[in-house]
Amino acid sequence: MTMKSPDAEADNRSEPLLEVRDLSKEYIQRGRLSRAKNTVNALAGVNLKIRRGSTVAIVGASGSGKSTLARCVALLEQPTRGEIIFEGRDLLALSTRELFRIRRCIQLIFQDPTSALDPRLSAAELIAEPLVIQRIGTKEERQAKAREAMERVGLPASCENKRPLEFSGGQRQRIAIARALVLEPALLILDEALSSLDLANQESILSLLSELQGACGITYVHISHDLRSVSEFADEIAVMHTGRIVEQKRAAELVASAEHAHTQELLAAMRTVESICAERRAKGLV
Amino acid sequence: MRFIFRRLAHAVLLLLAISFLSFALLQLTPGDFFDGLRLNPEISQQTIEGLRAQYGLDRPLPVRYERWVAALLHGQLGFSLAYKSPVGPLLRERAWNTLVLTGTATLLSWLIAIPIGVWSAAAKGKWPDRISGVATSTLLTIPDLLLFLLLLLLAVRTGWFPSGGMVSAAGDANAGLWATAFDIAQHLVLPAAGLALVALPALVRHIRSSMIEVLASPFIRAARAHGISRMRILFRYALPVAANPLISLFGLSIAGMLSASALAEVVLSWPGLGPLLLESVLARDVYVVAGTVMVAAVFLIGGNLLADLLLFAVDPRIRTDS
Amino acid sequence: MKRRRKLWITLGFLAAFHLAVLFAGFFAPYNFATQNREFPFAPPTRVHFVDAQGNFRLRPFVYGLQNDSSALSGFTTDFGRVYPIHFLASGARYEVAGIFSSSLHLFEVDSPGRIFLLGSDGYGRDQLSRFLYGGQLSLLAGLLAAALSVGIGIAIGALAGFYGGWIDDVLMRGAELFLALPWLYLLLAVRSALPLHVSEWQVFLLLICAIGLIGWSRPGRLIRGAVLSAKERNFVVAARGFGASNLFLLRRHVLPQTYGIILTQLALLAPQYILAEVTLTFLGLGVGEPMPSWGSLFAPLQQYAVLVSDWWMFIPAVILVPVFLAYYSAADTLQERLKSVAL
Repeated sequence: MTMKSPDAEADNRSEPLLEVRDLSKEYIQRGRLSRAKNTVNALAGVNLKIRRGSTVAIVGASGSGKSTLARCVALLEQPTRGEIIFEGRDLLALSTRELFRIRRCIQLIFQDPTSALDPRLSAAELIAEPLVIQRIGTKEERQAKAREAMERVGLPASCENKRPLEFSGGQRQRIAIARALVLEPALLILDEALSSLDLANQESILSLLSELQGACGITYVHISHDLRSVSEFADEIAVMHTGRIVEQKRAAELVASAEHAHTQELLAAMRTVESICAERRAKGLV
Repeated sequence: MRFIFRRLAHAVLLLLAISFLSFALLQLTPGDFFDGLRLNPEISQQTIEGLRAQYGLDRPLPVRYERWVAALLHGQLGFSLAYKSPVGPLLRERAWNTLVLTGTATLLSWLIAIPIGVWSAAAKGKWPDRISGVATSTLLTIPDLLLFLLLLLLAVRTGWFPSGGMVSAAGDANAGLWATAFDIAQHLVLPAAGLALVALPALVRHIRSSMIEVLASPFIRAARAHGISRMRILFRYALPVAANPLISLFGLSIAGMLSASALAEVVLSWPGLGPLLLESVLARDVYVVAGTVMVAAVFLIGGNLLADLLLFAVDPRIRTDS
Repeated sequence: MKRRRKLWITLGFLAAFHLAVLFAGFFAPYNFATQNREFPFAPPTRVHFVDAQGNFRLRPFVYGLQNDSSALSGFTTDFGRVYPIHFLASGARYEVAGIFSSSLHLFEVDSPGRIFLLGSDGYGRDQLSRFLYGGQLSLLAGLLAAALSVGIGIAIGALAGFYGGWIDDVLMRGAELFLALPWLYLLLAVRSALPLHVSEWQVFLLLICAIGLIGWSRPGRLIRGAVLSAKERNFVVAARGFGASNLFLLRRHVLPQTYGIILTQLALLAPQYILAEVTLTFLGLGVGEPMPSWGSLFAPLQQYAVLVSDWWMFIPAVILVPVFLAYYSAADTLQERLKSVAL
């Protein structure tokens, strides 16, 4: 099972779909009585290029700023400095109306699907919500699109009136994906979206995503802390460390010959885990 | 220290806001207040003109507010139509009576609530706790008005307590201090008891929950493991820690106590601010109304400040924070 | 579930009580203003099934009342005159909620017989009838004021919680101020600024506004808290990611999280505000005669003579206790439910 895009070489010539330049985000914590100020640099000048139709993984330890980057690119948080260039336009300089339209093109899937779905709404209502907000189509058209999206992610149409709590974790994440897809985004960011799922679910969702990429050419950005699993399906891997991208290479190259010290650390850890697993297999313990 | 300054500043601001509200109230009444006085032959034209000038009734609004506040600070709260006298002295006596009543009732309610609350917390789930729970719930559902009326019924039917007033009508002006004090105390029993009963349920509940929280904490378990006696643990270890939220509760409860005392004073004829306020509302005696509201506000703010100071003295966390 | 059953019983009782008050004209044998000057402070009329001769009668009846200054209550029973009780009989006309009128009464007694099930007051007016009609005023005032308070609380709480920042600071300081003031003093002061003799309806509305305006801070604060926590939930952030406006977020995702609090606060505030109206009328600042309110029923209880000899005048006050108990019990159950459902 692979998600590498068919014409990887040809993409070298095309314009990047998304380019992040010197993106920074500071959090200022006010101490009591407004005296002590604590500045946290979640992002300290991130530079990133993502080609259309590819699958890029952003890997890093906790606190490296991965989620903050994801939210800024998805326009859910306002960065302090920098540019986010999407299809040639700086997203941070758009007017309100343009921003409203652009939201269709970039979507984010959260790590915990349960908190990302309003427990009071049914699956069909949840999936159709983006269409309602973006005022696309009539009520019937929206319902039809929602059903279509449900089928595409592998959920039977019979459960369209069920509430999120009546679904399993894997199914809830599928609802979240269906909801994001209904707007036909060009870029889908998955913020540790697979971490809370079991292996079987992870595999089936990954193959679903691969299918969709083949059919529609969506670009994926996977945020993850697990270098090992990500190296199996990503085209490129970017390593993040204390708010910066320290290395970005094609997956195979990165694993074979990493340059930055932090990447080497991650790889070393990965190899240790792999060797332990191999040992145990050899001993027949697994 | 900063904490105290902040609370003082807060108090002053609050007083200012209330003075503004009271002033607004005065302005809302239609007609020239002193017009009514003019019809009264007992008051000389000079007094009326003097009052007019003092309050600047012919000047623009901000000037009038300034004059009003200036007069307040000098202790002059206006003039009462109904009583035909300046409001200040009128209020002084009534305010003192209300203070005596609410003070006694507050003391009484805390004195009763603390043992009951602590005991309920210590015996949580067992029958003493259950009984007190049912009793407080019952008390809570009985409307204040009904309670006071029932007490009045008690007084009238049994004759154990006087049914109103602060001193007996047949009071001897030359009676000694002790006799007068006893007389007043006798009249005080019913209204104070009524007020205490009204305040009791909420108080017991809060003390109980606060104590339960503290009793569950590790340091209490350690104390028990050391073999310290139950009573000591409850009152010397747990209660002081539970005191923090309770002192804040005291501050918050003052407003409720004032309202309830106003009602109690009316029903049981205790000559406090309550009946005065009612009469003046019915008689459209606006300066008395405004003055009474200001005095009540002062009591409130003063009480809260007292609570804040107590908190400061009792809780080391507040001291180190500032 | 035990809790569920308790809630339904409580709500059932409340509904029955409110219905009885709504259809006061049907349940009350007399109009609230009908005076019977010859029967002031008459004790509750006894209903009999067995007459003086020891005969059992299927239809219950009452005896006539006779003025007798030598008797303790001022009345003696006239065994000579028997008045059977007629059920579902036709009597004086009345209106129900101003929508339709009828003359059907649950029970009636032919004139000159009188049936004072809860006794009569100083003007000979039937206390039961006055209690039922008075309930219309007091309950309506309390419920409307509670709705107003919660409504203001929703508006301000949602604004403060959602937008945060200085708006939140200012609004919450305001809430503190309102919470800190003694409500009765405030109410009396506000009442004094209003003209004493205005039309009944205006006084009624003004009362509701005054009571409701004073108490918004507690529900307001609670709703603000709920809005604050709902605002940070991921599904709200996700909706923002689709381009949802603040209004949409509030309406569709945030405010529905506050429904539980709203219901609980309504159940808690209603009895408090009913009591506020009763207290105001008791003190003489309410709607005023001839429209009765529960407060006007309690007012005579301050008189020495009434306290000593007319015990039945307390009955309306005592009936209120289970009603308030029902409200508080419902509020408690709702609160428990809220806690167990909240995530």
